[in-house]
Amino acid sequence: MSPSAYVVLAAILFTLGSVGVLVRRNAIVMFMSVEMMLNACNLAFVAFARMNGNLDGQVVAFFVMVVAAAEVVVGLAIIVTIFRTRRSASVDEPNLLKY
Amino acid sequence: MSGVLSASVVADTFTLPTIDYGALAPVLIVAAAAVIGVLVEAFAPRGARRPLQLVLVFGSLIAAFVAVVMHAGIRQLDGGGAVAIDGPGLVLQGAVLLISIVGAMLMAERMVDPAGDAFAARASTLPGSEDERQFSSRGFLQTEIWPLMLFAVTGMLLFPIANDLLLLFVALEVMSLPLYLLVGMARRRRLLSQEAALKYFILGSFSSAFFLFGSALLYGYSGSIKFGKIAEAIAGNPGQNMLILVGVGMVAVGLLFKIGAAPFHQWTPDVYQGAPTPVTAFMAAAVKVAAFGAILRVFYVIFGGLRWDWQPMLWVIAILTMLIGAIVAVTQTDVKRMLAYSSIAQAGFILLGVIAANPAGLRGAIFYLVAYAFTTLGTFAVVTLVRDSTGEATHLSKWAGLAKTSPLTATVFAIFLLSLAGIPLTSGFIGKFAVFTAAIEAGAMPLVIVALFASLIAAFVYGRVIVLMFFADPPADPPAVVVPSAFTTLAIAISVAVTVVLGIIPQPFLTLLEQAGVFIR
Amino acid sequence: MNVYAPILVLLALGAAFAIFSVTLTSFTGPKRYNRAKRDAYECGIDPTPQPVGGGHFPVKYYLTAMLFIVFDIEIVFLYPWAVAFDKLALFGLIEMLIFIGTVLVVYAYVWRRRGLEWE
Repeated sequence: MSPSAYVVLAAILFTLGSVGVLVRRNAIVMFMSVEMMLNACNLAFVAFARMNGNLDGQVVAFFVMVVAAAEVVVGLAIIVTIFRTRRSASVDEPNLLKY
Repeated sequence: MSGVLSASVVADTFTLPTIDYGALAPVLIVAAAAVIGVLVEAFAPRGARRPLQLVLVFGSLIAAFVAVVMHAGIRQLDGGGAVAIDGPGLVLQGAVLLISIVGAMLMAERMVDPAGDAFAARASTLPGSEDERQFSSRGFLQTEIWPLMLFAVTGMLLFPIANDLLLLFVALEVMSLPLYLLVGMARRRRLLSQEAALKYFILGSFSSAFFLFGSALLYGYSGSIKFGKIAEAIAGNPGQNMLILVGVGMVAVGLLFKIGAAPFHQWTPDVYQGAPTPVTAFMAAAVKVAAFGAILRVFYVIFGGLRWDWQPMLWVIAILTMLIGAIVAVTQTDVKRMLAYSSIAQAGFILLGVIAANPAGLRGAIFYLVAYAFTTLGTFAVVTLVRDSTGEATHLSKWAGLAKTSPLTATVFAIFLLSLAGIPLTSGFIGKFAVFTAAIEAGAMPLVIVALFASLIAAFVYGRVIVLMFFADPPADPPAVVVPSAFTTLAIAISVAVTVVLGIIPQPFLTLLEQAGVFIR
Repeated sequence: MNVYAPILVLLALGAAFAIFSVTLTSFTGPKRYNRAKRDAYECGIDPTPQPVGGGHFPVKYYLTAMLFIVFDIEIVFLYPWAVAFDKLALFGLIEMLIFIGTVLVVYAYVWRRRGLEWE
């Protein structure tokens, strides 16, 4: 199978993720969609690494995994704090800033 | 299968990277101080933490600044080409450090809020709960803000000198992740603050994903993540290619988000309003400098050869940013929100320097950035001082007649607003002048006309606030202007000094920028 | 397709073993049910009840999971280092010690802030 198929798959996953962020209204689900976008990037990097015949893309994928983990922790810390206050993870409900 | 293949690739082409630790000293000093700060949080007794952290923060920031000054004149690629130490990079690093020092002064302030500093006594307690009240009444301070701030500064220092896409991404995240947390830690109006953190986080990580996918496409096109190699690949293969065009666009989205350019600006007013005001001051100034540094480098070094493809896109974005920022600022009734929209408009003006894509544009953009950063620090510092019983009195109606109760505060605020409006004898004027002339030189006359129009609208916004402060009657329950400690006083004094000095004698700084030259390729 | 043949064989073997064991135990094992056995997760600990009005959200699970993820993922950097260990020589060793030292600092912070205690 040609590596370009993986790039196409990565693009599809990335699009799905970004649509998820835009249409879903639950912070956790939006957050999962962002993680999916990051993983789509990883897939693209690894596929391109294979196509280009060098390792840079694989190295990037390692770093992205770690950054994504850090992002999970920071993001969930914020979401959990809000959830504990409001008992809801809907991004529409916190709306003090819209006026 | 591919693992075996990869290992053999390693064996063939492996070279040890050379890292000049001396040239990276500013970043390393701040990063080390942040790590030591975490140790202080772990082992120091509660009472000793704040003094220790303050020593660490100011000590490391000043030491890093000295290191930057000592590097003047260095022009080299480092770490196997991942880092570029050059004139503009060093100037931007120095600017980030000075801004951080002033920002840290604002964050260290303990006198303006009778309950303590601007941060929640314990960020993990529920707003309005008994726990929160207890921690607050016992005078607890959240000292984790200091390591978080230093980590953010580490990212900001790496951002303008990063010379490959991976380091740029890591720097972006090291800068952003601590800021997401700092935004949500306000002592007062905590729900607002937490909500701002959530919005900033979701939109911020969304935009960094775009940046990353764009990087992947650039890597796929050129086979390298190094800026220089990508530029070579673009130069060696003229003609448009979907990979490269989409890649440029997505990388630009990720970076433009950080500077709050329209249409990626929606987070700016919410976050600036919700964040603790010292953090707003710090991030409004420092993030903009660091992110514009990265934008300038990326557009000059990588995308220089594609100028005709990205310039129309940036034209549209710059026009949108200037007009939306200036026009929406007119309708705002909250000082912090108004300043947020004004910062969006200012980002549009600085984009003119990027679009000019010539050395004059680079110099103008950096000058404007520094001028804007110190003015912004000053404005938000003044906002922390005007308070009523619920905290900061940010509604504009409360600011009416401020000159009658506190002429000094009103005058200082007016100086900052005049600088933001670009009135002569302030730093804002020189910045606008430098950026506009560079854009005209590059043939972007229509853009400059739009910019002048937007400045006019913005000037109306600022002028209205000045009139309100000096000529309107105070409200029935006027806010009090509190007397801050030496920290905020010094921060405001520095901001006023920079604003006025850069406005009256800009030449030394302009000469410095001239000597700094352009980005290394 | 030959490349994938071993994977398919492994997949088939794994599936066969799983089906075999599950079927076999359902015939041979003794069937003594009680309340604990019917719980969703039989691990000796009562499942945490749903938070009721004003009750506490079980943050401790979240904290443990987060700490696990952060420290777990750092290991990823050890793999490329191990692959190129000989080539990286002393330089790599020192860099890796600095890296692990930094992770250790975070560990010390979590430990001192009682992030590792279960109650």
